[in-house]
Amino acid sequence: MGAFLAPKTGILGWIRELANNHLVLFPQRTGSASYQFEAVNERSQLDFEDFDSPVPRPGFRASSNGTPPGKALLPAREELFRFRRSEDGRIEFFPTLDDRPRILAGVRPCDLKAIHLMDLVFDSGQKDSHYLTRRSHTAIIAHDCLQPCDEHCFCDAAGSLRSRDGADVFLTPLEGEILVQCLSDRGEELVANAGFTPCDDAESRLAWAEAQRAQPFGRQLPVSVDELPEIIARQWDSNLWHKHSERCFSCGTCNLVCPTCYCFDVRDDLQLEDPSGGVRERHWDGCMLPDFAEVAGGHNFRGEATARQRHRVKRKFEYLTKRFGLGSFCVGCGRCGHQCTAGIDIYDIVKDLAEAGA
Amino acid sequence: MSETIDKKKKHRKSKGQETKATSRPSGGAEAATLDVVTEPVMGLDHSIYLPTMARIAEVQDITEREKFYRVELERPLGHRPGQFVMLSRLGVGEAPISISCGPRNDNILEMVIRRAGSLTQVIHGLKPGDLLGVRGPFGSGFHLRELEGHDILFVAGGLGLAPLRSLIQPVVTQAERYGRITLVSGCRTPADELFRDEVKSWGKIPNVQVVRLVNETQHMPWDGEVGLVTAPLQSLPMDVERTIAVLCGPPVMYKFVLMELAARHLPFERIFVDLERRMKCGVGKCGHCQINDLYCCQEGPVFRFSDIAKLREALS
Repeated sequence: MGAFLAPKTGILGWIRELANNHLVLFPQRTGSASYQFEAVNERSQLDFEDFDSPVPRPGFRASSNGTPPGKALLPAREELFRFRRSEDGRIEFFPTLDDRPRILAGVRPCDLKAIHLMDLVFDSGQKDSHYLTRRSHTAIIAHDCLQPCDEHCFCDAAGSLRSRDGADVFLTPLEGEILVQCLSDRGEELVANAGFTPCDDAESRLAWAEAQRAQPFGRQLPVSVDELPEIIARQWDSNLWHKHSERCFSCGTCNLVCPTCYCFDVRDDLQLEDPSGGVRERHWDGCMLPDFAEVAGGHNFRGEATARQRHRVKRKFEYLTKRFGLGSFCVGCGRCGHQCTAGIDIYDIVKDLAEAGA
Repeated sequence: MSETIDKKKKHRKSKGQETKATSRPSGGAEAATLDVVTEPVMGLDHSIYLPTMARIAEVQDITEREKFYRVELERPLGHRPGQFVMLSRLGVGEAPISISCGPRNDNILEMVIRRAGSLTQVIHGLKPGDLLGVRGPFGSGFHLRELEGHDILFVAGGLGLAPLRSLIQPVVTQAERYGRITLVSGCRTPADELFRDEVKSWGKIPNVQVVRLVNETQHMPWDGEVGLVTAPLQSLPMDVERTIAVLCGPPVMYKFVLMELAARHLPFERIFVDLERRMKCGVGKCGHCQINDLYCCQEGPVFRFSDIAKLREALS
């Protein structure tokens, strides 16, 4: 696969160029400090600091503030199918599969890992064609981080900093330049007409970048992430669960901003314009919301905030890790801790558990 | 008849097309009339969330809150005892419902539906001829061959008899393949009893013993016993070397029944429990039915108790 060198200032021009012919989602400033992955158009103000700046800057905060890019593959509200009663009385179904080509650009390793995990979830067992159709028509331009995004980052400790799987193009910041690596045929096509300079010593460039990487990289944990499933499994009755959940409002913000939260609810909606038909949709749901595990008879298997908190942490670090075998489902992006109204940080919970159980 | 042929033709045609993914009504693509598909739907141009349509053939009031439904499907469901379907009323919603009938070769599906939310409220208002959406069957269920040759002890609490009936029916109709078959079935009052005549008829089969209990008679006529399902478990003859126990009931029932069975030294490997969870997808994605690292809709809802005995959120 090809490797190229691009001037730092050339990357944003390339992104804009791609946006002329494709739907390109790129982190854009939506408020004073918040970034969202939004469609690039001619009015878009792209200020991707890592790429803009002639010298590497420590902080580009798109990743830790805004909605994760992977949520573009699993929208907050998504049509599964439409139905309609035909004139001869039969019910007709129209599955809604979104195959519009799109490019997710500006994806960090933590979010890349999260998307890779989601790919696995929706591809395993009965295949979820809604997610997989959107995913197969989505190209990903990801980039390395040589500095942690902010003080909440712990992607290195969570084992996602060096994720490359799922990216079509991978960018690594160098001195005044960007190394552009094509990781798939689709990636080659995206780069083909960019006019970048071919690079035949990518390995040594990567080694240079690696040497510039901050050490330690973001917040660290006292044990390896691979040891966490067992350590956490031993601590069901720990009072740490209560300590970290007593301030929880059960608002579900941590679910909303998590790049690997994919739980959903399914709802029907009738169409006002055509009373003979309607739509079945899925909506994001969250295991921190009080009624998530409540059954029809009224029993709630996780009625207390402590039980929900424990479930969420164990799901990220233990349950899904065991189930899918691809490492931690917490990628260490730091969003949930950053966004929590009560200031609860999953890193603090896991660090306490690791220290208590190591 | 001609309609059926017509449908088949249409199905072949749609199968022959090189289908591109998107097909919205507005997109002009031909509608996939999935109510006529006769083979499992595969491939990414379809959705695992699409139901097939079933017609209600019969509705019976069985208690104040529960109705019995017999529906006619497009093709045999091909289920195992203990599996469930995702049942929906288009425009209202979808929920997991236990299958109440034993495996069968015809297109019939039987269910007991308790009025417990907005969907079941609407379904309770439906009449024969009305349509329901069905997906499934889903879940682990029971393998009859594993049970053959054993004494079988069924313990049902309240609505738990509905899913258990899918296993009791095939077992008692071939009772000679099993040892002693016992059903302990309890409910709150005589007015809450499900399938009274059928349960009594099981008790008349050689080798089958049925104990019917209510917590209280509330001055209604009652020809069974009064008490909890745990009471007969203390004294029932039980050969623990060859007994398999199968439990289905509300969360509170499991705890006490399991205590009784443990007291009789029945190994956990030979106890099966059928658990209830909220479910939105039935295919291991939506996250609602998760019990630690297990999904109730995938590894369950029927679990060997030894597999979940250590899972803290499994039973309560």
